[in-house]
This record gives sequence, C-alpha cells and structure tokens, in this order.
Amino acid sequence: MPVLAKQSERMRQFKNKGKNAADLRRQRVEVNVELRKAKKDEQILKRRNISFSLMEENLSPEDKRNEIVQFSLEEIVEAVNGSNEELQLQATQAARRMLSRQKEPPINQIINLGIIPRLVEFLTCADNASLQFEAAWALTNIAAGNSDHTKAVVEGGAIPAFISLLSSPHMHISEQSVWALGNIAGDGALYRDALINCSVVPPLLALVSPVTPVGFLRNITWTLSNLCRNKNPYPPLDAVNKILPVLICLMEHEDKEIISDSCWALSYLTDGSNDRIQIVLDTGILPRVVELMASPELIIMTPALRAIGNVVTGTDEQTQAAIDAGVLAVLPCLLRHAKPTIQKEAAWTLSNIAAGPCQQIQQLITCGLLPPLVELLDKGDFKAQKEAVWAVANFTTGGTVEQMVELVRSGVLKPLLNLLLAKDSKTILIILDTISNLFLAAEKLGETDRLCLLVEELDGLEKIEALQTHENNTVYRAALNIIEKYFSGEENPDLEPGTGQDGLYDFSVKKQDFNF
Amino acid sequence: MFISDCRREFYDVIVSQRVLLLVASDVDALCACKILQALFQCDHVQYTLVPASGWQELETAFLEHKDQFKYFVLINCGANVDLLEILQPEEDTFFFVCDSHRPINVVNVYNDTQIKLLVKQDDDLGVPAYDDIFRDDEDEEEDSENESEGSEPSEKRRRFEEDIIERTMKRRQRREWEARRREILFDYEQYEYHGTSSAMVMFDLAWIMSKDLNDMLWWAIVGLTDQWIQDKITQMKYVTDIGILQRHVSRHNHRNEDEENSLSIDCMRIAFEYDLRLALYQHWSLYESLCNTSYTSASLKLWSVQGQKRLHEFLADMGLPLKQVKQKFNSMDMSLKENLREMIEESANKFGMKDLRVQTFSIHFGFKNKFSASDIVYATASLMENIEKEGPETTNFIKALDSLSRGNLDKLHQGLALAKKQLRAIQQTVASCICTNLVISQGPFLYCSLMEGTPDVKLFSKPVSLCLLSKYLLKSFVCSTKNKRCKLLPLIMAAPMDVEQGTVIMVGIPPETESSDKKNFFGRAFEKAADSTNSRTLHNHFDMSIIELKTEDRSKFLDALISLLS
Repeated sequence: MPVLAKQSERMRQFKNKGKNAADLRRQRVEVNVELRKAKKDEQILKRRNISFSLMEENLSPEDKRNEIVQFSLEEIVEAVNGSNEELQLQATQAARRMLSRQKEPPINQIINLGIIPRLVEFLTCADNASLQFEAAWALTNIAAGNSDHTKAVVEGGAIPAFISLLSSPHMHISEQSVWALGNIAGDGALYRDALINCSVVPPLLALVSPVTPVGFLRNITWTLSNLCRNKNPYPPLDAVNKILPVLICLMEHEDKEIISDSCWALSYLTDGSNDRIQIVLDTGILPRVVELMASPELIIMTPALRAIGNVVTGTDEQTQAAIDAGVLAVLPCLLRHAKPTIQKEAAWTLSNIAAGPCQQIQQLITCGLLPPLVELLDKGDFKAQKEAVWAVANFTTGGTVEQMVELVRSGVLKPLLNLLLAKDSKTILIILDTISNLFLAAEKLGETDRLCLLVEELDGLEKIEALQTHENNTVYRAALNIIEKYFSGEENPDLEPGTGQDGLYDFSVKKQDFNF
Repeated sequence: MFISDCRREFYDVIVSQRVLLLVASDVDALCACKILQALFQCDHVQYTLVPASGWQELETAFLEHKDQFKYFVLINCGANVDLLEILQPEEDTFFFVCDSHRPINVVNVYNDTQIKLLVKQDDDLGVPAYDDIFRDDEDEEEDSENESEGSEPSEKRRRFEEDIIERTMKRRQRREWEARRREILFDYEQYEYHGTSSAMVMFDLAWIMSKDLNDMLWWAIVGLTDQWIQDKITQMKYVTDIGILQRHVSRHNHRNEDEENSLSIDCMRIAFEYDLRLALYQHWSLYESLCNTSYTSASLKLWSVQGQKRLHEFLADMGLPLKQVKQKFNSMDMSLKENLREMIEESANKFGMKDLRVQTFSIHFGFKNKFSASDIVYATASLMENIEKEGPETTNFIKALDSLSRGNLDKLHQGLALAKKQLRAIQQTVASCICTNLVISQGPFLYCSLMEGTPDVKLFSKPVSLCLLSKYLLKSFVCSTKNKRCKLLPLIMAAPMDVEQGTVIMVGIPPETESSDKKNFFGRAFEKAADSTNSRTLHNHFDMSIIELKTEDRSKFLDALISLLS
C-alpha cells in the first residue's frame, strides 16, 4: 500500500525505528537560520545608516585635532609601499578609517590596491605598536567582508602573523588579532581548520584568565565559537577537546554576552553525529545548560535550548542524560513562551524526546508536558504547531496503548483535528498518520467505535471527508484509507462485534471521559 | 498639535459629543465663549461651561468633570503649560485649546493625539524644531536590539570607528545637544506675549462654516479691543486685525446704505469708526473722560496744578465751554458735537497728543443704544472684577458674560458705572503714586507697592485692574520723570491681596516705549527668583507675570529679582 510505504519511509526518520544513525535525526532546516541572520545584518545596517551622518560630522573635529591628513587611494599605496614610517602609519590609519566607516566601506578598492601583503608585513613590526594595531584593524575589516575578501587576507599570509600577535605584549593588539582570527574562522570549515592547523587554539586559550577585561573576553568567546562552528567536516577532535573545558568555564561568567556566545559554541558542537554529542555530554555540562535554558535572558535561553535540542536528537542514552539534567521541568515554560521561535524550538526538542522509548514517553507524561503541548497545538504560532504535530505523531508511534489513552484524555484530538484545515499537506499527512495510529490502539482495546464517535463529535470526520478532495494524491489516499477503514458504517462487519458487545451504542461519550 | 482644518478637526469632532468648556476670566475669552455658545446652540451641542480664573480652578474643574467628559475646550488658558503634565488625563481625553497666551508649550505643540491647538497659523510662533528639543534615537536603538535578540551571532564582524570612541562621543554629543536644547528653550520661553485674539479665532471658525452672524462679529471685535486695551498686542498687530475685521463688517453691514435698502432702526449695525481715544466718553462727560483716560491724563500731566491748567487751555483752544464739557455727553449741544472729533484732534495735536484718534468699531441698535467697542471692554472687565460680593464666585463671570448679549442692557449699564468707578480709582491712585514718589527705581526695573489702607486698594487685588493701573502708572511716570534711563525700565507693581493670609499680588509689565513688542520677561524671572529664595509664591494666573506671594517673602524675592536682572 502506497500510504504504508510512505509511512515506513518516514518511520526511518525517527531515531528509534530507523536503522541508519544519520537518518535518525530530523535536522533543522538551515534556511531558517540563514534568513534570521540576514535579517539581523539588515537591521544592523539599517540602524547604523541612521546614525551615519551624525557620526561623520562628529568625527571630523576629532580628525582635525589629531592632525590627520586626508589620503587618496593613490597616496595610500605610495605611502604604504614607501619607507617613511610616519607616512606608513598615517596611510594605514587612513585606510583603516575608510574600512571602518559604516556605509559602503571600500573593501574591494583597498584589496585592489594590492597592499594586503604590505599590511601583513606591518603586523610583524614589533617596534611600532601603532602601525601593528592600525594594520590589524584594517585587515580585520577586510576579512569581515565576503569570502573573497577573507581569502585575500588569508592569501596575504595573515594567519601566522595574527596568531603570533596573540601573544603581543600590547593588549589592544592581541585583542584586535583575536577579532581578525574570528573573522577568518567564521568564513567556513576550510579556514577554521587552517587556523587550527596553525595552532591557533593554545595561544588563544592562554588569553582567558580571571583578569581579562570583559570586552576582550567577549571577543575571545566569539572567536572560540567560530572555531567550533560549521560542519563538513566537523572541527578537529583535539581542538574541540582543548576548547571545551574553557567554554565550560566561560559559561560560569557573569557577563550575559559571554554566556550567550559560549552556549552558541556548545550548540555548534552538539549539532553533529552522536559521538560529537557524546564529547559534550562527557564534560558533565548538561545540568548547567538546562539551567541556562531557563534564563530570563533571551540571548542565553535561545542557544541553550538549541544545544539541548541537539542533544536529544542523539541516542536514547543521550536523550536520557538530558532528561536526567531536568530538561522536562523547563520545557513547559518554553512551550508557553511569548516568542514564537522559542515555542518552535521547544516543541522540536519535545518531539525528539517523544520519539524515544516508552519509558521516556512516560516521563514526559509524568512531568506534565501534555497540557502545554495541547495548548501549543491549539493556540501556538503555526511553525510551533507543526513541531507540536510532530511531537504527537512521534508519541503515537512509540507510545504504549495506555500512553495513547492518556494522550487522548489530555484533549489532543480537538486541536489536532482542527489542524487538518492547514494548507501544508505534509502536516496534514502526519496528522492522518497519527489518527491511524490512534485507531490501531483503539482496535487493540476494542474501542474503535468510541474513537469514531469522538472524531465525529469533534467535527473530525467532516474534515477527513473533505480531504478526499485534496489536490495532493497522498493526502487523498490517506484520508480515504481512514474513512474506508473506520467510517464506512454498517458495511464494515469488523465494527459490529465492538459495538455489539454491551448491546447498546453509547452516544454520551465526551472527550474528557473518553475511556478505551 | 496645531489644527489646520478647524472645521473637520475640531468642530465636526465635538459636535456629536458632550463638551466641557473651560473659560478664562478675561474679556477676549468671554467673547470667544459667546461665539462658540452661539454655534453650539445652532447645532444642539451638549456642553457644560465652567469658568477658570487660574490654574488651580482649571485643575479642580478637570478633576471634577474628567469622568463625565472626554472632550475639553479650553479658552484663553492651557496653551503655555504642559497640560498633560499638570492634568494627567486618561489617554482617551482630548483637549482643544484656543488660547492667545504665548509661547505655546512645546509638548502641547508636538503632542499629536490629545492636545489640539486652535491657533492662527500665520502668527509668528517661533516654535523650536522637533528634533532640537526631542530625541528618541536611543530608544530606537534598543528596540531594534531587542528584536534581533536571541539570534545566532554573526560569522564575521567589522570593527567600526565608533567602537573606540562610541561611548565618550555619544556622551559628549548628548551633553552638547542638551545644552543647545536648554538654550533654544530658554530663548523660546523667555518672553511671554499674546497671539491672535481667541474671539477672532472662533469667529474665523464660524465664518469658515458660513455660520457667522453679526453678533459673533461684534464679539470678535470686542475680543480684539480687549487685547488692545489691556496692552497685550502691538499697535501693528491691532491695526492688522482691525483691517481683517473691517472686511467682515462691510460684508455684514452693507445694507442700510441707501434709502430703499434700509433696515429697521432696531436692527443691529456695526460701523467702522475713527473715534476718539477717550474712555467711555459717550456715557460720561467729556471732561471726566479726558481726566480719566490714561492717554490724555498722562500727556497733560493732570496730577499737577500745571496739568490742570493745561487741560483748561486745551478745552479753551477747542472753544468748548466748561459747562458744556462737564455735563453728560448725551446732553451736550448738538452743534458742538457735530465736528467734535475733528476739533479735538486738531487741538490735541497742538498739545502733543498726536494719537488721540484710533481705528475702532461701534455698534448701534434702537434709537439710543450706541456703544463703542472699548465701552464694552471696560464694562465687561469691571463686572468681572466687581469687588462687591453678590453671591458665589461665579456670579461675576456669569454677569460679565451676560452683559455681552444685547438683551442684557441693564447689566451693561451696571458695568459701565463700575468701569467709571474703576477708571477714577486708577487715576487717583496714579496721581497719588506720582505725587508722593512711590515709584522707585530698583536698578533693572521700577517698583511701586500699594500700602494697605490706600483708597481703593481692594480693587487692585484683582489682576486685570492691577494690570491696568500698572500700565497707566508707568505711562504717567514716563511722562513725569526727567530721568531718561528710568523711561526705559519695566515696572513691577505690588498690592495687598489677602490681609488675613498675608499675601500680596505682584505684576510685572514691559517698558513703555513706542515700539514696544509687548513681550514680558517677568514670568520666567519671577519663577527663578522664587526658586532661588524659596519664596512662598503661587503662580496661579494664566499670565505668568502675575503672581501671589507671602508678604514676608517680598523683600528677599525682590532682592533676588534685582540680582537676577542686573
């Protein structure tokens, strides 16, 4: 049967049913992340544009006071390539200024001047700290551009120069280098690993100390998070093993941005295969992450929830570790959170716990996750509702008959059936599958007729019937299958014994006291 | 915010609502009120009228009525103070403010929801630009930060120039901006003055809606004349506004120009006149009017023996027998009255009184009723400040308001009688102050204080009367003094207010110069002096340059004022 084939294909996506570990995990749609990021960048740009003219105006007197000469691009090339140190500094500073203006920094023009190797050379002028600093800043901002821009900096030989500057006696220079290295690492797995192969990690970690200023520490944390970021391939194991203990320390810091970026790093590290998840679990950090998941600060809660969500995509044992760390106590709150993205991520996390063995499903029931799940299904943001549908579907796939009864008692049917009106045919299919699962359970209990009645009373039959005209063929067949199997009335002899056993039809069944 | 379409944004809004009218106690406010009441009567608008003689009364009236009303119309009060701040209204409460007080509070100007200002747009308001006095960029920044909160950190970050100097820069910028803001606001709020008469604004509304009647036009004229008599506007502004009203007068009163098209004598007619600037002369004797008009009395220096002689010379020059000028003007020989205006003007020129005639309007109805606009102003103002108690606080207000209707001639005549008493009292007080040298130069200003026990002192515990007295006194003082520096000084005048409570009323007026812009800086100065000395003052009057103060605090208050203005 095609429907069943489809079903088994999807079954493989659930970690407890499938065979292939890689298929077990339902990965987050990367597009969402991309979109979010793009939106943020846009906002930052927008915001900065507003203050742009103001800043320019107010900078000019500052410029005058420092008696800085305006350089043309040609003059910059000339001075940078010249031998006059004073002019070199002024020209580098001029270039840095151009690159650090908010609107349309001339990154391409500066690269085309061919001065990057020269700027890298300046990084090594240990006797001229000002020149080192200006060059480092200029290169940082070039590396902050698109991939080609970053490439230009790397190919200019900046990586070893910056790494050796991490140990500069001048803190502002080493901080600027951390920043530049963060930009290079952020470009992708290739440069990230190039940095790691050049032994960026030990000197970087050496900068973390109890006396490091907060601003500096924020930069370090962000750069560390970029060193943990990106897959294909994952970051090298030995680097991760070195970084993790420091991240765990940073998660105890009082600054919320430091905690936030550490959590993001952790979420990158857990976004991988089960053995990668295991490395994080082995540090024993999970209780702290769960604690941070309950933080009132959105910037902390979001990455902590993401990390936990990643962990529960792992093995049953790994999921159990998250449950033992207390994740089920925090989730109800997050399912009811005002922000739709939090609702969605929380429901996604819950759906993967519900995909576990029935013992874990039982814990989910015991910890009171069903009421917030039903609420979310009923009134949540649509994306969150979709995740909630997955949670219910997974529940009905792995739950025992008794657990299914508990699920129906919690009032899940009404909002679930209402969602049959959704436009998204994938969601509709999952719901129809879920309904089939519930009927299979009802059959085992000989309570098929009661479930039929309940579905009918909740206007579910009407909606399922309507789906027989759905444009999607799979939806049509799934709906038809349910109707033929359970709602073809007297024609179906299978139903007769069930209703005939106590000799009368009980029409008084309400969903609250539904009892198999 | 300013209302640009009076009809759509004001009248059409309130016409279907229950409205509370809060009206200040000056003649212009009463006239504006009369016009609005007439309009409300036409359209059956439900309204309640509450007089408000000061900020306290305004607040009390608001608190008493805020539950029943959502729409408040304020006439000649409310514009120059942050209304939302002092009244703390609910968000669904709306204020329509028709007020000649300037400068208008900037919050009132830039509030787009609750404060609607009915103010003539071509008045020179000089309101500071929004961006110079309000700033919300920082909130914006935080908002957008909140939006993106919780999203993934960016992969690459550029280091901006501002990162280094951002904080100090912003702080410095902020400080500079705030200093500039203070300066701008100081310049803007420093001087108090008056804009277009509220009665004229209301008449404009009636005219735009084609609901203007001759009666309304008359009230607009009286409102403008009140501003002129109270010295609230410049000569220039007065002449300009007279011109505007004159066009309406000819539109409304073109009939009766020929025999065929004549109106009944009982009908009301308004006429433009180039009349004598002699107070109430048509209802007095010419002699009394000459003696009690500030302009003639000051110019002739009537407080001195020489002045009296000059008056007789002046009368002789015109060839008017004493017997004739001392009897009621109505009873004077018709032959003498025929060319009276021209005759007086000609002689006045010889005696240095070049501006004895002014552009004004008069009203006729019936056989014997002829009033000049200034007559009505004097009469109504006197009724408003009648010191003989005749009932509750609002009696004077109601009576003054009623006297503006043609049907209440008795009240008008009572007002005229009171006005004569008032003018006499002013003239006598001026004479005694000048003769006993009560006007003292304090350096930056002149100062005169009326003692308890001075005749008519009770009359001058009222703001309008005290202001009139101050203006007449200053005019006379300028004519009497030889000290050229003193001629250019403003005047502060104090009078006992409440003996039991030990308070005085104090008013400051700008210098008496021909080109005076009528701008008054005493409001702000009073505030500052009171602050710096912790004097117990009450700024209750809608004009900031009128205050009440504890008698014991007077000397330290004045000392502070002197050092502040020196």
